[in-house]
Amino acid sequence: MSTLGIIFSDMQDWNLTELASHRSVAAIPFGGRYRLVDFTLSNMVNSDISKMCIVTKTNYRSLMEHVGSGKDWDMSRKKGGILIFPPYATEENNGLFKGRLDALKKVLGYILESKEKYVILSDCDMIYNINYKDVIKFHEESNAEITAVYTKTNITKYDSVHKILYKFDPDGRADDVLVYPVISGEKNVGLNTWVLNRDFLINLIYDAIARNLQDFSYDVLAKKVKNIRIYGYEYEGYYAHIDSLKSYYDHSMELLCKNKLNSIFYAKTGPIYTKIKDSAPTKYGENADVKSSLIASGCIIEGTVENSILFRGVKVGKGAVIKNSIIMQKTIIEDNARLESIVTDTYTHIKSERVLLGHKNCPFFIRKNSII
Amino acid sequence: MISTKKECVVMLLAGGQGSRLGALTTKIAKPSVPFGGKYRIIDFTLSNCVNSNLDTVGVLTQYQPLILNSYIGDGKPWDLDRLYGGINILPPYQRVGDSTWYSGTADAIYQNMDFIDQYDPEYVLILSGDHIYKMDYSLMINYHKEKRADCTISVIDVPYEEASRFGILSSDSEGRITEFEEKPKYPKSTNASMGIYVFNWSKLKKYLEIDSNDSSSIKDFGKNVIPCMLNAGEKMYSYEFKGYWKDVGTIDSLWQANMDLLGNNSFDLAGDWVIYSRHLEWPPHFIGPNSTVKNSIISEGAVILGKVENSVIFSGVKVAEGAVVKDSVVMADVEIEENAVINYSIIDELCVIGENKIVGCEKENSENITVIPRESKLI
Repeated sequence: MSTLGIIFSDMQDWNLTELASHRSVAAIPFGGRYRLVDFTLSNMVNSDISKMCIVTKTNYRSLMEHVGSGKDWDMSRKKGGILIFPPYATEENNGLFKGRLDALKKVLGYILESKEKYVILSDCDMIYNINYKDVIKFHEESNAEITAVYTKTNITKYDSVHKILYKFDPDGRADDVLVYPVISGEKNVGLNTWVLNRDFLINLIYDAIARNLQDFSYDVLAKKVKNIRIYGYEYEGYYAHIDSLKSYYDHSMELLCKNKLNSIFYAKTGPIYTKIKDSAPTKYGENADVKSSLIASGCIIEGTVENSILFRGVKVGKGAVIKNSIIMQKTIIEDNARLESIVTDTYTHIKSERVLLGHKNCPFFIRKNSII
Repeated sequence: MISTKKECVVMLLAGGQGSRLGALTTKIAKPSVPFGGKYRIIDFTLSNCVNSNLDTVGVLTQYQPLILNSYIGDGKPWDLDRLYGGINILPPYQRVGDSTWYSGTADAIYQNMDFIDQYDPEYVLILSGDHIYKMDYSLMINYHKEKRADCTISVIDVPYEEASRFGILSSDSEGRITEFEEKPKYPKSTNASMGIYVFNWSKLKKYLEIDSNDSSSIKDFGKNVIPCMLNAGEKMYSYEFKGYWKDVGTIDSLWQANMDLLGNNSFDLAGDWVIYSRHLEWPPHFIGPNSTVKNSIISEGAVILGKVENSVIFSGVKVAEGAVVKDSVVMADVEIEENAVINYSIIDELCVIGENKIVGCEKENSENITVIPRESKLI
């Protein structure tokens, strides 16, 4: 069951202006020591997929640095392994793609040279644990041309505008696809993951070139739903869609609930791999007071931390109080500073006695390298 | 042929049993004993090598090497997977007409002279894999070059009461060694050998040959080779090391070295001199809503729902609700169930301490550290 993975680093980056202002969506830090791409990469590695590429758009330096040769995902291989496609300009185009189909046109050569029977297309803004082998088995058995992974869930009209929704006929074949609608209720929400036969995908791309089509969701899924056999594979576990700073905050906070933490990090599909940093274990001082928190390695904690996530190498000074916050790596919080409902990006420095208050419904974001 | 010449080859002695560590080393060699939350003892010497730009390391193994071998693997975690040089595990092997175990530290090097010769080095650095310290070996090698020495021995100042546990050196004002005594009853100085030697390879080769033909020798660097070179009047210098250095050869010293990592510690694992180790994938550690953690270090993947004080907690350890861990070292993947109490103990990897169990006594009322061997189930 040979399968090629194609990961898109930035399909919906306009939703995440704060977090993705200087990095690709794939490289957004999450869960104390990960970046969003780790979840998709680990799903692929844990499903025995050994050849994959990441299609990037802009600001891909931190992503390239993170993924490197792929050895931390066991993907530094002689056969297969990881390849990163930054945008490149040719005579015909100016480099930046305009949609998923347009992006696929640019990696057509790679797809043509591959020999795998199936291709998985996946974005990086969804966090969930899945074994793709099950999806491919379903794809074979249902004789689908495109299999879309979806989950049944209640959504509001505020959520729905970032989601692709499917309606299926009694046989399970999609008969309607809505892209970014305004709608609410229990819906089949797409998880931005699709399985296709490689030959079928190649023909789709040829067709897109001939007709100048750019967008996979509108031009293929929605418009051709009557002509293409699209089936849905239902995923039933925990998932998180990171489509705004608020949802980033809420889903991060969900990790402090032990069941959700277990379903992501201790799932039977396998571990989540990430880049190894060799930081020392975290040190707690005599006056440390830590409750309900997820703490990565390399931190030094001398103050109070409650309901928060600390990334690698964070320093919390004496008397500092951090509540309901996400503190990204290498943030320094000096003595007696107070932070509530704050998201600090990497390498920020909060000097002593500073008081920063956001609200759970509207977390306050502090940009990378800020000094406060 | 591509030249594989290296200026200096490192030979790391990792074959010792470490019998004074008792239950901790029945299944594993002393260098692979876990330390400091996520490391094994050998990580310190290996990391010192890479950080000192030494990229050709032979690891001499003999006693219980399985865990050590798979831990070292291809050397990738220490950046020692190199095109030329890198890490090489060197167990004793069979030869035509003769095959023996390594009978002593000098014999281990003697049996691997061909390995060293491949790299045609000027110098050989001899290390042992059972000390906790951060040291830049390149400074010592520079010192050796400046002194135009044949052999340089690294020394550290130890308290007089402890001096008779070590090899003790006396040297003149220039640092030239005038006397060397292995474990003397009445030490003449407090300059203890750290078991770190830089040799000119051609000189060492000569003395290893002499030593191998001496039937009265027990083939030991401290007892035979060094005294023999000194008697022959070779240029031998002592190199003073100032900094944290701990021999973790006993249960007490292993416990103490772990405790040295806490508080305003005498030894800091963090910093620019990175200590590398082989990682398993663990998420960040989780501290529960009712837990207390004070003056401790906690590694990745641990789930702490109870109370932890003055302790070192390794990766993947679970401390359930109501459980208390105090003044202890809890190694990887140990499960401590509800309301269990651990005091002044070392719990080896993969143990299970059942509900309400009590392990060890309060440090104040106890003379000995309790050791629970690997994979014990106290239920």
